[in-house]
Amino acid sequence: MTKMLFLHISCGLGLVSAFWVAHNFYSLTLLQNPAKTLRTLWAVEASVVILLYSLFRRNPDQCSYLRAVLRGLLGLPTGAVVNALGAIVLGAPVGIQHFEKTIHWSLLMSVLTFVPAACVFGSCWSDWLRVFAHTEAIAACIDWIICIGAHGAVIGAWFGAWPMPLDWERPWQEWPICVTCGAIIGYLVGLIISFGFVVFHNQKQRVKGD
Amino acid sequence: MSSRRAFWRSENWGGWEWALAVFLGIMLLHSLAILLFTRGFLLTRSELSKYSQCEDISESPCFPPNHDQNANASCWTKPAVDRLVIIVLDAIRIDFVAPSAFFAEKKPWMDKLKVFHELASQNQSSARIFKAIADPPTTSLQRLKGLTTGGLPTFIDVGNSFGAPAIIEDNLIQQLVQNGKRVVMMGDDTWVQLFPHHFTTSYPFPSFNVKDLDTVDNGCITNLFPTLYKGDWDVLVAHFLGVDHAGHIFGVDSTPMIEKLEQYNELIKKVVGVLESQSGPGGLHENTMLLVMGDHGQTLNGDHGGGTAEEVETAMFAYSLKKPPTPLPAVDDNSSCQLDMHGKWICINSFYQLDFAATVSALLGLPFPFGSIGRVNSELFSLAGGTWNQDMSTSDDDQNPWKVESWLQNYVNVLCINSWQVKKYIDVYSSLSLIGFSEKDLLHVSEIYAQAQELWSITSKNFPLNKSQSSFASLPSVKRLINAYSRFLESVAALARSNWTEFNLKMMGMGFCIMLSSLYLHVYLIKRLDKLCGLPTCHSGYFRSFFGVHFPYIVVLIRAFSFLSNSFILEEGKVAGFLLATTAMLHLRDAIMKKMMLLEAIALSLLVPLLRIGIELGQLKQAVNSLFLKLDPSKTSGIDNNSQFWMYFAEVLPILALTVIAYLLYKSLACCSSQGILKYVIVGTLLNYLLIPIHWATDSSLLSVPMLLGGGNLIPRVTYAAGILQLSLVIGQIFVRKRSSNWEESTVVKALALLSSWSSTIIVLSGKQGPLVVIGLLIGGWCIIRLKTLGQNAENSCSGSSLSYALSMTQWSLLAVCVFFSSGHWCAFDGLRYAAAFVG
Repeated sequence: MTKMLFLHISCGLGLVSAFWVAHNFYSLTLLQNPAKTLRTLWAVEASVVILLYSLFRRNPDQCSYLRAVLRGLLGLPTGAVVNALGAIVLGAPVGIQHFEKTIHWSLLMSVLTFVPAACVFGSCWSDWLRVFAHTEAIAACIDWIICIGAHGAVIGAWFGAWPMPLDWERPWQEWPICVTCGAIIGYLVGLIISFGFVVFHNQKQRVKGD
Repeated sequence: MSSRRAFWRSENWGGWEWALAVFLGIMLLHSLAILLFTRGFLLTRSELSKYSQCEDISESPCFPPNHDQNANASCWTKPAVDRLVIIVLDAIRIDFVAPSAFFAEKKPWMDKLKVFHELASQNQSSARIFKAIADPPTTSLQRLKGLTTGGLPTFIDVGNSFGAPAIIEDNLIQQLVQNGKRVVMMGDDTWVQLFPHHFTTSYPFPSFNVKDLDTVDNGCITNLFPTLYKGDWDVLVAHFLGVDHAGHIFGVDSTPMIEKLEQYNELIKKVVGVLESQSGPGGLHENTMLLVMGDHGQTLNGDHGGGTAEEVETAMFAYSLKKPPTPLPAVDDNSSCQLDMHGKWICINSFYQLDFAATVSALLGLPFPFGSIGRVNSELFSLAGGTWNQDMSTSDDDQNPWKVESWLQNYVNVLCINSWQVKKYIDVYSSLSLIGFSEKDLLHVSEIYAQAQELWSITSKNFPLNKSQSSFASLPSVKRLINAYSRFLESVAALARSNWTEFNLKMMGMGFCIMLSSLYLHVYLIKRLDKLCGLPTCHSGYFRSFFGVHFPYIVVLIRAFSFLSNSFILEEGKVAGFLLATTAMLHLRDAIMKKMMLLEAIALSLLVPLLRIGIELGQLKQAVNSLFLKLDPSKTSGIDNNSQFWMYFAEVLPILALTVIAYLLYKSLACCSSQGILKYVIVGTLLNYLLIPIHWATDSSLLSVPMLLGGGNLIPRVTYAAGILQLSLVIGQIFVRKRSSNWEESTVVKALALLSSWSSTIIVLSGKQGPLVVIGLLIGGWCIIRLKTLGQNAENSCSGSSLSYALSMTQWSLLAVCVFFSSGHWCAFDGLRYAAAFVG
């Protein structure tokens, strides 16, 4: 229980502190320098996520902590490719001037969606399917956290794309900015919901146990 | 679909006739809704066929012109000019004419018409540049109508049929003819369509061919100069189209545009030279006025039609050959002045095109057109207005203040007549027209008019009726009167703008409500049908399947709400692509879950970005065109090898795509035989497909196929003819119903024949991207149909219900929208595809 709370809080704080680091140490903001800010964001958040989620790895007897971390590191670029492809299919601009921003954005998305699952499940395809496709058959708490967080980030990013075609001519309507904001807000909301689920789940089990 | 077919066969509910009645009823409801909506949306204005008459002036409270002094025909006002030369340069932007000092940045197309700058800075009192502000819609026909009638034409005026756009309202040209003036026209043949019987001489040239930059202009020039030396006309109209066409084809920032502007510079210089040479006392052009004007502006892409500043702001240049000895003061100073490149002051005034008809009528001494709601513009009026008193006052050097006052009184009188006529029009219009003005607005306007009229009756007692009297109204009181009249005219113009350029919300709301109710009826009928055919209704137990059922409705709702925002409409193609991609990705997820039909889902997902590239290419079309023009002369040698390959590739790719389509058609033909005529129809389409690449080959310069078939128009014409023939055959076949045993197959073949019979025409019309788009559509359609079964398997409980088709139907409509946009259309006037008009 406390472990879960710790996981949630540190994931949320990771993002916030990443913003703080970017702002205070490198004096970067998302508006003026999206690519570099995104780089800081994903670097900080990735270290937090990989180190923490690797603690919750499946089959901890057969798989060492180091290996889980390695899996997470491998999952990072793979997830980025998937996210980038998805974004392009949905209408992200393609072009050399957007290339860097797209890469950093998809790495961040990968940290929020792909990396936790990679750390926990590794390459076990059935586990992935169980969590992301058959969302009904979920048993463990960690599955809920991964599933809801990832869905929150993706749905948030999807909604974040809505203001892009409006003709308000604001700087934040540029390609990765409002989508990033949407994704982060969605992820944070997802964290809150998933914590609620965990509490609910625990209580139910306790009732059953009694 | 299958449920409906089952219902058709089941005949237990009244059978055929009843079903037909239901469909017809729904169609009727739909068309009623659309009709009501468009009535409110497309603005309408009644045209009154009343004409102003010379004698009407006696009804007005104002002073009629003095007949004893002016022997020549003067009607409502004292004529200030005898002859008028109007040169219309289509689609002239204000920054073509005004000096570049007026704009933040100097662009290559500025300062090309230097002749205006010279004239305006040398003759401050007799020449002036105006920034003319047009009212949307900024298309040539509507603008010419607005200029000559002095009203605000909408896209569809009541009483205007599409075939014969001749103006039936009172207008400037009509007044000219009515009062014995002779009008000569040359250039754009739109004028002849608008005024079929008015011109004594006309030299019309076809305006439709946008690619032709010179025919109209050269025709104009060859006729213009001989006519200028003749004395058998009073008003000359020359309409040049070169700039408009250059804009449509090449854009503003292009060499042809600059060449055109330089040509016009020389032309205007020559015209002014001719006029000045004849302007001595007793000469042909002693009291002539030259007006050079644009009918509307254009965007940088060369498009027009809308209401943006670029399209609305055009220019006018006025030059009176009889120079007034002293500059007259402007009544309301709205001019802005700047130093030009040679350090001389040039002033620019703004001028509403609405005022054109009234001002020109006042200058020529004609009755104002009955429907004119413009105001006589003081600056334009003053350019020639100073010429009245020249004959009368012999020693005028020390009588300057006298002259100013006299001019002002004259102007007040003209404004009085102007207001009287506008008031009369408003009264008549609101009594005759079905959709008039609101009571409150009318009352407000009447009050302002009454105030002004009261002031007039006080002030005008002091006016001198002729020169011998020397008592004057004081200057401030005259100015007050001018302000009162201006206020009245401005409020009328504002009222008319709001009434004729804003939508009728009540009508639109009614149409919308009927549309919604017809949709409800639809859903109700479908549910009823389902129940009747014994299909299980859906019970959405889980959140998941609930989401699955209702997701398409959510998508449709999102799309519907996106139409509420203007910017979403401009990006409609992208929004549709976004939603389509979302549904495709959900399908992909389903496919991964079930481990089936992965290929289709991936193909559908990949199709969307490809279509998006098409959309973006279409939007870039004109920019790319002008880019290539600039690159070509400099870099041809450098990129030769590389671009040669790409150009060949671009030539061959559509032909390959067409071959694939033809092969698919052939295969579908082979699999279901036995339908006599329809089979020949499809074979005919295949033959057409063979002809189309030949047409492209003869068109393209790369493959250099000799022109075998007598001009490039033969093949498209053959295709059109064959298409019409095939279509009529197919329709004939559909109505000759045969009781065939195999219902499904015959329906498929009929649909196929119907599609194929018009496909060839459409492919020819949409040019080389046509077949690529068709291939995209085919692949998309195939994927959607395949994936439909996937969705059905997912919800076994409600498979077969008509509502379970909702997702694939939504996808299909989104795909159709994407394809529409990726074939080079988009929702703006500039999105119209001009190229299609040149195929055959």
